Amino acid sequence: MANRAPMLRIGQQDLKCRQGCGFYGNTQFDGLCSKCFRERNDKQRKRLLIVTEKATEDNNDNIPSGPSSIAERRSPQHLLSLGRGKKQPETSQVESPSTMPKKKSIVPAVLQKTLKGKFPAVTNQQQQQQQQQPQQKRVPTATENQFMLQLRQMRLPDDAKHKLKSEIKRLDHEIRKYMNTNNAKNVDELSDLVQNAYTRFSNVVHNDPRFEMASSEDRDSAIDFFEKVIMTQNHNLLFSPYFTSDEESDVKVQKRIRQLSWITAKHLDCSIDEVNAEARDLVYNAISELVGIDSYYSPQEKLLCTVRCCRHIFELLKRATGGPASADDFLPALIFVVLKANPVRLHSNLNFVNRFTNASRVMSGEGGYYFTNLCSAIAFIENLNGESLSISAEEFDALMSGEQAFSTPWESALLACESLHLISENMKCMELLQKRNSMINTGITDFERELIDFQREVTEKVDTVMAKAPLTLLPIKTPAFLIKQARAHLAQDSVEAAMGHYQSNLLSGALSQHALSPKSKDIALEDAHNLTLKDTSINSVGRLSPLLQNQPQQQDQLFASPIFNYTPFDAVSLLEESSDGDVMMLGTEFQGGLTNINYDFDLSDQSGDNSVADESKLNLDEFDPLVQRPVATATPLLDTTTDSLIDCDVPGTAVLLPSPLKPEVANYRGFSNFDIPSISCNTGDFSSLGQDVNETMETNKK
Amino acid sequence: MATTPRSGGSGSGAAQRPNGTSQNKSCQFKLVLLGESAVGKSSLVLRFVKGQFHEYQESTIGAAFLTQTICIEDTVVKFEIWDTAGQERYHSLAPMYYRGAQAAIVVYDIQNQDSFQRAKTWVKELHKQASPNIVIALAGNKADLSNIRVVEFDEAKQYAEENGLLFMETSAKTGMNVNDIFLAIAKKLPKNDNNQGSVIKPNGNEPTQTTNNCCK
Repeated sequence: MANRAPMLRIGQQDLKCRQGCGFYGNTQFDGLCSKCFRERNDKQRKRLLIVTEKATEDNNDNIPSGPSSIAERRSPQHLLSLGRGKKQPETSQVESPSTMPKKKSIVPAVLQKTLKGKFPAVTNQQQQQQQQQPQQKRVPTATENQFMLQLRQMRLPDDAKHKLKSEIKRLDHEIRKYMNTNNAKNVDELSDLVQNAYTRFSNVVHNDPRFEMASSEDRDSAIDFFEKVIMTQNHNLLFSPYFTSDEESDVKVQKRIRQLSWITAKHLDCSIDEVNAEARDLVYNAISELVGIDSYYSPQEKLLCTVRCCRHIFELLKRATGGPASADDFLPALIFVVLKANPVRLHSNLNFVNRFTNASRVMSGEGGYYFTNLCSAIAFIENLNGESLSISAEEFDALMSGEQAFSTPWESALLACESLHLISENMKCMELLQKRNSMINTGITDFERELIDFQREVTEKVDTVMAKAPLTLLPIKTPAFLIKQARAHLAQDSVEAAMGHYQSNLLSGALSQHALSPKSKDIALEDAHNLTLKDTSINSVGRLSPLLQNQPQQQDQLFASPIFNYTPFDAVSLLEESSDGDVMMLGTEFQGGLTNINYDFDLSDQSGDNSVADESKLNLDEFDPLVQRPVATATPLLDTTTDSLIDCDVPGTAVLLPSPLKPEVANYRGFSNFDIPSISCNTGDFSSLGQDVNETMETNKK
Repeated sequence: MATTPRSGGSGSGAAQRPNGTSQNKSCQFKLVLLGESAVGKSSLVLRFVKGQFHEYQESTIGAAFLTQTICIEDTVVKFEIWDTAGQERYHSLAPMYYRGAQAAIVVYDIQNQDSFQRAKTWVKELHKQASPNIVIALAGNKADLSNIRVVEFDEAKQYAEENGLLFMETSAKTGMNVNDIFLAIAKKLPKNDNNQGSVIKPNGNEPTQTTNNCCK
């Protein structure tokens, strides 16, 4: 057992019983299996009897660490707290190594052991160590292992670590010496001793060349470590020492707080809502932290715990008041929490921190601030009277003595009055809902009003804009040269028309058809311009129909389907731009190939479908060849329309519909569309003949 | 190692380092706020801490304990501001708070004569019980409402001069003089690099600040 190095890493092998019996061991049994542990304990107990006798003899020149010396300095008071795990008497530690020992001399021993391998040079100290602790044949406990690990992880040079370790040992020694030698013990002296050691160590850390390499953070952590190790290991000696009245005050405060259980948040002028379940939960959080202060060994941890408790209170106040709470709100809340928590050993804990932590810790910093608040809360509780709770002295006395019955929301909620609690909660909830409801109602009316306003505003705006910019339709101008060209073509066409007798056939067919087209056109013209354009296409489709079947009554159906057929053809209008550009150059185009001419004409037709801007031109393109064919016979009519509206053209088409060119357009479309089969069906070779004629006409046009 | 809640306070370590390797001096001071409740103690601090720099603070949950760092003449001054409960019933607890404080601001409300009287008692108390070198500032808050003032500026000014206090009328609402009063305190505080002025010596003894080289 003595030769075992502390294990910091656990391997599979380490889980087995240390005796090597093959069973798994248990850390609680010191790494042994239960059987070996029991056997060893029996052996040890026998050996212990001998050791104790020896120890009492050797105590003269050694540090008194034997059980007998411990028994000496135990006061009867301490027996009260023996039941609490933290204050196990050291006699029992020796008897059963499984309990967590608080022996301070252990720490240096442990440090020594681990450093042994690392620093073989420090043999002197080792020897010293061994002289001082001849009986330290122990396996380090979990706490010690933790400290070891922390020490190793510290970013300090090795010799600095060594210095830290020896300082810990030194203070440890001093504390033990004071506790054992001085007969008239004074806790203030002890406190001074510890505080002086802190100062000394702080000086060492800041001045010693061994710490020169360390950053200020590392120095701080070294100081922290120093304090933590000392305080944890000497907790049982320094916490509520028997020669102080700490325990008595603990009991007194506890009793007083119990007497003050009638105090409500209202008495303290504190904004905690005792009835609200959410607030209560937060209060419970704070209470559990406050109670938890007692379960930590080192002052640092106790302070941290206080900070956590106070943060919960701030959280609570933030919800209650809506903003960051000031001390005016915080202190009453803390007092309330302390009263409801009634933590054990309150005074002992506060005094322990006050006496043995680095004084700067309680004088500054967040931890210090909250700790000061806690101290003042307890001071307030101890000294409070009727005046400080804004009640009369008589009432205060009556409440304190229990003569006057009382019920607090806090207590009632703690007790079985869950239903009452629920009722009050529900009332609160209802109130909230009512508030929200009225808010919604006002919101609705507001919204309504806003809507009306908005509507009025929009109409006003629209009206003003309308007034500012009325819709006026400007006349469409036709470029003069186009008309001239068109006229020229038409003149040609009229000559050609006279030539072919097929033409007359077509003409008669077309005539019957075109008698209908104006009607649709008129309707269309009432619509937007692009619609008109579409209509023209319909017309052009309509023109087809007489060729296919001379059945005007079927026109509606015919309109429908060709339009759809027509759309794929529209794809050609992708070329629109170029063709649009060509509109101006129609003259040159005419001099091109035969196909070009047809194509161009039709394209411009299609482009008219999409482009409103080109409307006038396109209409011309479309209409002129169709319309002006008859116009050639009645030239004066055209003259009147030369520079006028499309409207003038439309009657023109209506009147002068029968154009020999119309079939031409129709035929061409037939080429590119499915209309061809129907053409062949209905008109037979006649149509093909017509085609030929048209083509010849085109060539002639050129 | 357990991180202490005062991790922000490690800045003071540089000041404590006697060989003074850091270029900038840095000091940490504890400042207590005293004053009747509802005179605007915490709003004053919140204005100072949050209003000016908008930087992340260690504790944003409450306005009772706040820290703020300011720079004057290449010295970094870290204020640790301790708020106290102003209610009369907690008056007797105040000494616990101003123990070890290097500075105090006593706040009163210029619309409230009582708060001014309370402020006077605090000043008296501080002179009697606090550390002898404590820098005390008197702040007449709510100066934005000066048209309905009760405490005259001259009256307070005279009182402050008689008692050796810094005096300013402040407004946490408008921010008037808020930073100025803290700056004035920082200037008045001793900041010699080598002293451990900000370090509280063990046993609660106040460090004896013999060299009082004010920057003012």
